[in-house]
Order: sequence, then structure tokens, then C-alpha cells
Amino acid sequence: MNNKMNIIKKPELLAPAGDIERLKIALLYGADAVYIGGSMYSLRANAINFSIDEIKESVEFAHNLGKKIYVTVNIILHNEEIDLLVDYLKELDSVGVDAIIVSDPTVVSLAKENTNLEIHISTQQSTINYESMQFWKNTGATRVVMGREVTKEELVEIKNKVDIEIECFIHGAMCASYSGRCVLSNFFTKRDSNRGGCSQICRWNFDLLTEDKEPLAGEKEFTFCTKDLSMLKYIPDMIDIGISSLKIEGRMRSIYYIATVVNIYRKVIDEYCSNPENYSYNEKYEKILRNCANRDSVPQFFNNIYDSSCQYYNGREEVSNQDFLGIILDYDVNTKMATIQQRNYFKVGDKIEIFGPNINIIDVTIDKIWDDNNNEIDIVRHPKQIVKFRIDEQVYPNDLIRVKK
Amino acid sequence: MSKIIIIPSSNQLNNDCDGYIIGINGLSVNLPIYFEVEEAISFIRKVKDNNQEIFVALNKNMHNDDLPFLEKVLIKLNDLKVNGILYYDLSIFNISKRLKLSNELVWAQEHLTTNYLTCNFWYERGVNYVYVASEITTDEILEIRQNTKMKLMVPIFGYLPMFVSKRHLVKNYLNYFNLEDNSKINYITKKDNEYPIIDNELGTTVYSSHILNGIKEVPKMKDIDYLILNSFNTNEIDFNEVIKMFKKVDANNVVKYDNKINQTFKTNHGFLYEETIYKVKNNE
Repeated sequence: MNNKMNIIKKPELLAPAGDIERLKIALLYGADAVYIGGSMYSLRANAINFSIDEIKESVEFAHNLGKKIYVTVNIILHNEEIDLLVDYLKELDSVGVDAIIVSDPTVVSLAKENTNLEIHISTQQSTINYESMQFWKNTGATRVVMGREVTKEELVEIKNKVDIEIECFIHGAMCASYSGRCVLSNFFTKRDSNRGGCSQICRWNFDLLTEDKEPLAGEKEFTFCTKDLSMLKYIPDMIDIGISSLKIEGRMRSIYYIATVVNIYRKVIDEYCSNPENYSYNEKYEKILRNCANRDSVPQFFNNIYDSSCQYYNGREEVSNQDFLGIILDYDVNTKMATIQQRNYFKVGDKIEIFGPNINIIDVTIDKIWDDNNNEIDIVRHPKQIVKFRIDEQVYPNDLIRVKK
Repeated sequence: MSKIIIIPSSNQLNNDCDGYIIGINGLSVNLPIYFEVEEAISFIRKVKDNNQEIFVALNKNMHNDDLPFLEKVLIKLNDLKVNGILYYDLSIFNISKRLKLSNELVWAQEHLTTNYLTCNFWYERGVNYVYVASEITTDEILEIRQNTKMKLMVPIFGYLPMFVSKRHLVKNYLNYFNLEDNSKINYITKKDNEYPIIDNELGTTVYSSHILNGIKEVPKMKDIDYLILNSFNTNEIDFNEVIKMFKKVDANNVVKYDNKINQTFKTNHGFLYEETIYKVKNNE
């Protein structure tokens, strides 16, 4: 590629967080910024959203690391939500939030009039062309989160025609519809899709009929369900295009998922930007992500492919991930003993991997385990049980332990 | 008194309605039929000669490649002086302003047109019409009426679009399982309800299982500028009867007409009486 030596700015890696624990993990594992939902006006009603005090704490934590916090204010407003909106925006401004992510243009307008908040346009607006980008630029937005339907060629054209920051999803679940154009939840469960109530009806199974009401039955039932998005292979392309922010989906995901996904994309971005000419794709990263998510993932619209290869018909649902074994709480460099909080069953003899923001992956075979009373045990089976075992290489608090595969 | 606007299934004029919303092939979604540009021009002229109003819904999500054709169509419609252009994608607003086109615009972002403040955002930018979302209650619609100067279009009869995707969800399923079917319309079913699903060149639309019948609300909606009747997936004779009833409805005949519509179609009241849940877990 001609512009490989012209990487002017490393893109931001933007991660989700549903609570402060996950927010801290995301930042420690390499996210440059984290997006969170406030207790009002956020599109993930089932996430444990942040109070103003928690947002303030998050901002201080992030800013101390030289990183950023964005707050989603991306519900589609109804009349009843109007009255408290300006006060809420002012509160977000007062606690130092770096930007808000909004869907409704009137929020853009109110934020401009009443605060100094930077404004990013949510993917809920499904912005996929340069004229719409220009509209948002004209309103005062500094960044647009692209609709997921945009292709690589379209991104290049948009980048060339409109001088505004572009944010793209790189990993996680996909809407089956254009974002903002699905109200299946409203009709099936009376929960408002565009106000945080999405019930993921797109993952339900249905019977499909012909126009004469005759069954059209394959081996599995009809569903809208799509595979997840993974742009791991295409991160260099996105950096070359000049995408400003690479976004991971999933404010309701676990700390293990967030740590793993952030950690892998951090490595890919850093490896490519530090030496674009000699960068090579690492298959192992792909394997780690696949094991972590337990769902198939594909690049989807980036390559303009949205055929049956992007759909899920096998009825497989996301299963609970048992790979995450524990979190390092402490490490004694003299005795080389690590203190661990258990998250899934493990035992003496297991082969494990330890990963974290400050270490390369460390392989360990567990030799002996002690409980918190220093009794030697063979099996760690109790949730959040505190145990110790020896790790010869130095590890750090918040490093995570997973099954070695 | 509200004007009755229909979304037709053919290019036939109907003298009982006050106007039409039509779509253009390649630029419109969620409509019973799509006109080629020349067909649309011909229809628009017929409508204007018949002293009725004509709105054009250019309501798909536009990609870069759509924009040159979109711009040409906007200029053509400007020359024809249609009553309004319904837009979902904001490119239409941007192009119209950039080219200083004089056609009225209708903010018609389907499920996003839910409050008066955003109506006023667009009104201050020269947009004088809003096509109100079908997921809000009559009370919310009337509150919007009281708090904006925009002209309101309210969907009051017909199947309601509830899902639009670029993906070919029916074709993908058929391909994956090697099934053959040439239906122009399919249905998906759940709990004895059948939901029309259309997969065409632009992707997939899914509609509600029931026809919205809001005729009982019409007397309350006398200050609403336009009531929209959608003919999608209805019999022409029955739909023409519906137009007549909506045109003549008043306090004396509303119950009779309501019953008649309910006997003819599988109906419900959509969200006119029912607020959707806005669920936010409390942190405490």
C-alpha cells in the first residue's frame, strides 16, 4: 500500500463498559477511551448504568491515565424525557466527560447551546454516506459512528470528502437491521428498542411461509440472527483509511471478554502502527478471540458481503465462557507466589495462560495450590475463592488467567 | 379537519382521498409499489391535475452510490413542485439545502420522530412537515401537536413497518437450505400471528401482524394536518371503503365504522393507547 509510511495518527481503541470494574479493566488493558451509559438517556437499559458520581470517578480514573470517557445519551427522545435533558447534559459537562454519543439531533443542538461537551453521533442514525456526514459536521458534531452497513470503498470516499472524525465498530454483535429501523421489541415485548429496551427479537426463531401461507422449512427455523462482527484482519486497512476510532461493542459483556478483546486489538494496532511495512497477521490472536466470544464472527459489510454466510441458522446461542479461570489480586516478587480470585473451576496439573496489559502471555502448569488459610488443595471450585500458587515470571494485579488451548 | 393521504398500491387515482405518498424505485422502502422516475412524473402530473396533493417518500438509507441518482430525482421533483419529500436519510436535507431546492421536506425518520423538541429542531431549519412515528400514543401525538408549528402526518390505518434491513433475509434463508420460492410476499409466524416480510432488491422489511385501525381516534385528531392510510397487503375494494369511512367519520358514525373495519381486517390499535416500556435499572 502506498500510504503505509504515512500513518499520521494511531487510531483510538474504544471499549465498552457496563460498570466501573469493567471500565478500569478496559483502560488498563489498552483502551484509549471507554464509552458508558449514564443512568438516563442511554440505549442499554439492561446494563448497570453509571450514576453521576460514578461517571465522575470514571472520568478521574481515565484522565489520570491520559485516557477518555464518553457517555451515551443515545435514546430517541419522547416528550416526557425532554424536561430533564439539559440539566443532565450540564451535569455530564461539569464532571469532565470528554464527549457524549447522541442519536437525536436536538440533543446535539441542546448540548452545543448549554455545554462545552464534544458531540459524537451514534450509529443509531445509520450514517452511511458523505452528504449525511456533512450534515452532522454542519450541526457541530466532531465525530460520527458509522452505520454498520458501510463498505471499505464507501469509508474511503467519505474520508476524502468530509473532514470529520470517523468511528467504526470493529468487534461484537451486529444489528440485523439498519440501526434505528427496528422496533421488533416494541411489537413483540412492548419494550422500546430505541429507548434501551431491545429484547433481541432478531435472535428468535420463526416459521417462514410462502405468499400462499405454505411452510418454507429448512433444516432449521427461520431467524434474522447474524454472526458477530470481527475486523481483526482488516485493522491495517482501517488505519490506512484514517479511521479515528475503532470501537468494540458490548457494554453488557464480562470483564474477561473486555480484557481479552481490548488486549488483542491493542496488540494489533500497536504492532501495525509501529512497523506497517513488516506487519503480519497473527492467527493466534484470532483463535483467542474466537474462544472468548463463543460465536462465529465475520467482517460483514466492510467487504460488502451480507449473504447467508453472515447468518446464524444453527440455533446456537452464546454459551457461558468457562475459559476465564481467575484474576490476579497480588504477586510477591520474593516468593513468586500469586494471589488469585477464582472465576471458574481449575485444579492442580491444569495448563493455563496468564495475560495482562504489562506482560506477554505466560504459560504455566499449576504445580500446587494453597487456600487462604495456607492449606494445600487440589481443586479450586468455589466462586471467587481466594487461592495462591507459584508463577515464576512476574505478574501484576488485574492480570487474568485463562485455560490454555 | 384532517386531510386523508393514502399510500397506494397502484397508479390509479382515488377521488375520495386528499393526496398520495408514493415511492421511487431504488430510493424508497416500505411501500406497496415503487414507480420508475418517468412513471412517477406522469402520476404526479395526474394528481396535480386532479387537485390532490402528492408527497414522495425517498426513505431508504442512502449509500454514496445512491447520491448522484438521488440528486437528479430531487431536482426533478423540485421542478414538478410536489407537496413534499419524505426523508429518512439526512443526505436529502443536506442536498436540498446545498442546491437551494424549494420543495417542502417531511422529516420522516420512521421510528425516530417521537417528540416535539426534535420537530422544532427541524422546523427551525426549514422543514415544515413531520411524519410521526407509529410507536407513540395518541396523547403523545397531541402533545407534539400543541408544541410545534410543523404540519403533522400521522399513520392511522394499515400494516406498520417494524424492521428494515439491507440484508436479504428471506433469500439468504432459501439459499442456505436450498429452498425455492418465488413469493412476492412471505410471512413469518409466531404465536399464531403472521407478519408480512418482503425481501426485494434493497433488502428486507417486516410488517406488523395486525393492521392499525385508528379510526376511533380521528375525532380527537381534528388538528392533525394529515392522516395516513397505507394500502399495503389489503384488497383494493376494501381499502377504498376504508378511505371513504375515514373521510366521513364523525362522532355519530365512528363506532359503526370502527366495527366495520374490525370485521373486514385483522386489526389492533398499535401503540395509540399503549406506551412502550422505557426500562432503566436503578443503580440503587
